[in-house]
Amino acid sequence: MSNDLVIKALHANIEEKEILRGVNLTIRGGTIHAIMGPNGSGKSTLASVIAGHPGYEVASGEIWYKGQNILELDPDERSKLGLFLAFQYPVAVPGVSVANFLRAALNAHRSEEGKDPKETAIPMAQFRKQLREGMQALEMDEGFARRYLNEGFSGGEKKRLEILQMTMLRPTMAVMDETDSGLDIDALRIVAEGVNRLAHPDMGVLVITHYQRLLNYIKPHFVSVMMDGRIVRDAGPELALELEEKGYDWLREELTA
Amino acid sequence: MTLLTLKELTADIIGERAKVAGEPHWLVERRREAWAHFAQAGPPEWRRTDLSGIDPTALAPSSDTLVTIELDASLERLGVVAKPLRAALTSHEALIQRYLDTAVAPLEHKFSALRAALWQDGAFIFVPKDVAAEMPIRVRYHLPPIGHTTLPRTLVIAEAHSSLTLIEEFSSPDQSVPSLAAPISEIFAGPGSSVRFISAQRWGNGVYHIAGQKAVLEQDANLEWTSIGLGAKVQHIEAETTLKGNGSQVNWYGATFAGSDQLLLTGPWLRHVGHRAESFMQFKTVVNGNGYSVFDGMIKIEHESAATSTRLEEHALHLSPQARNDSIPGLKIDTNSVLKGGHASTSGDVDEEQLFYMQARGISKTEAKRMIVMGFFSPALDSIPVESLREELEATIESKI
Ligand SMILES: Nc1ncnc2c1ncn2[C@@H]1O[C@H](COP(=O)(O)OP(=O)(O)O)[C@@H](O)[C@H]1O
Ligand SMILES: [Mg+2]
Repeated sequence: MSNDLVIKALHANIEEKEILRGVNLTIRGGTIHAIMGPNGSGKSTLASVIAGHPGYEVASGEIWYKGQNILELDPDERSKLGLFLAFQYPVAVPGVSVANFLRAALNAHRSEEGKDPKETAIPMAQFRKQLREGMQALEMDEGFARRYLNEGFSGGEKKRLEILQMTMLRPTMAVMDETDSGLDIDALRIVAEGVNRLAHPDMGVLVITHYQRLLNYIKPHFVSVMMDGRIVRDAGPELALELEEKGYDWLREELTA
Repeated sequence: MTLLTLKELTADIIGERAKVAGEPHWLVERRREAWAHFAQAGPPEWRRTDLSGIDPTALAPSSDTLVTIELDASLERLGVVAKPLRAALTSHEALIQRYLDTAVAPLEHKFSALRAALWQDGAFIFVPKDVAAEMPIRVRYHLPPIGHTTLPRTLVIAEAHSSLTLIEEFSSPDQSVPSLAAPISEIFAGPGSSVRFISAQRWGNGVYHIAGQKAVLEQDANLEWTSIGLGAKVQHIEAETTLKGNGSQVNWYGATFAGSDQLLLTGPWLRHVGHRAESFMQFKTVVNGNGYSVFDGMIKIEHESAATSTRLEEHALHLSPQARNDSIPGLKIDTNSVLKGGHASTSGDVDEEQLFYMQARGISKTEAKRMIVMGFFSPALDSIPVESLREELEATIESKI
């Protein structure tokens, strides 16, 4: 069973329009892998398809993780397999508190077939301790846990909450979609430290970004570039710097030449 | 005493029975008058409430009202009264005569007349001036034996600068034949008083609940009203808050869940009379199966009012494609002096993005839906001060998802 996330010839559509046009990509377990690419190239679509968003139609292809083609699994099953998606636009759920949501998520991960959920549920004291520690590490205010999920949160608060969830769920493969957008430098540092604590060697990370900025804080082992729904280049971290300096056009020209 | 159906009853029998029961003259006369109105009035013209499944005239009003009243001993020592209405006729006759039937109009339609003519018993709640009744008072109405009609009534009088929390519940097992419950609730919030009123309808299947509820707020009175409707086969609630006094305020939260074979209608009205009065109404509805729910609300801003602030929000969530809800909010303004007015309304399925977000954290679709529904209802559920009741209501809601 491999901890690599292996994407093979993936084609996916939204409303009949082909967005992913044959993606081939391997994220090796325990490594940090960045995907860069211009806006609209399909990066968020790829992240959504990995997590199992029902709004995307997978026309063909496979995504393998831990010995399973995860395209056959529901989003919650993928999460329990160890996959995590830090959303570019986290969703507000009014009336559901951060604490209740986190507890439900943790308990879902701890549940076992044939066992009473009460038996496997996290003891309240342990949950509170874990939550407190997680929030402290991300410099989050205590009152945060009582607020409704993402409701009225600032951009930075939403991103921190994504990382808090990652901290508590301890995934083995995390996809982070534009986690740096909307963050000031302080928040960016805190979020990046949070990711670095969890990453290598326990967690593979797929960092999606179209700026190099985040990669100063989360150092990738590999960089791939996505354009028009395909991975057009795989390289080392030096590619990120080159893209930052020269933009994407030279690469496009090189490819069409 | 043999129980007579509505077909068999007459004004004379009703008057005679009231006299035998030792009721004061004024009440006997009111009953006779209401009955005369009931007897000649045609069926109410309700466009959405379907009463074809029940023949009220074939049912017999039960001889007694099954009611449990809970009052903490500490409140009793402060002079707070919570006792059966019939017993209060002896101890508090003058107050009852002054207030009874003055909020919910007895002669408005056939059912209001029926309730005023035939109510058997209920709860009388009285909080004296300046007394803060902190512990919740609970009134629980139950159903009489199958095939009977129950007509209970709640009368609440909060004197000046007093405060109280009242929980009124209607609960029963499922009924194999249609039963009728026709309650009245009247609340009088004196100057500067604070009243929290939680009314929870959770009858079993088969019950027709046709209720009149009304609160009248004097100057600077404050009402927090939570209306919960989960049970019954048919619910038709005409509710109103009259902001009579200057500076009076109401926050009104509703939670209605109509599942299969239920028709739950709530008609909450806000009537602004006083100056600088403020109202906020937020009603939430969930429909599932082939359930049908109606929000028939109205904001009336009367001529004599001034500087009114009012806001209405109504939101509906559909859990199945067959379920329906109608929302008919109305606004009538008879003055030029309105400070603030607002209205927001939504209706739709459970949000796919919310479901996906929660599922992406390992939470199953079923559990995610449950959490979304509970979250949707949280303003109403959070207002319930008794943890065990809240859990019971949550369990009922859960069973309907
Ligand atoms: N819900 C949607 N409906 C239709 N088109 C969409 C939708 N979401 C994204 N797209 C289109 O899909 C393409 C890829 O979008 P996206 O995956 O968000 O790109 P990126 O994250 O790289 O900026 C874009 O052309 C975008 O306009
Ligand atoms: Mg994107």
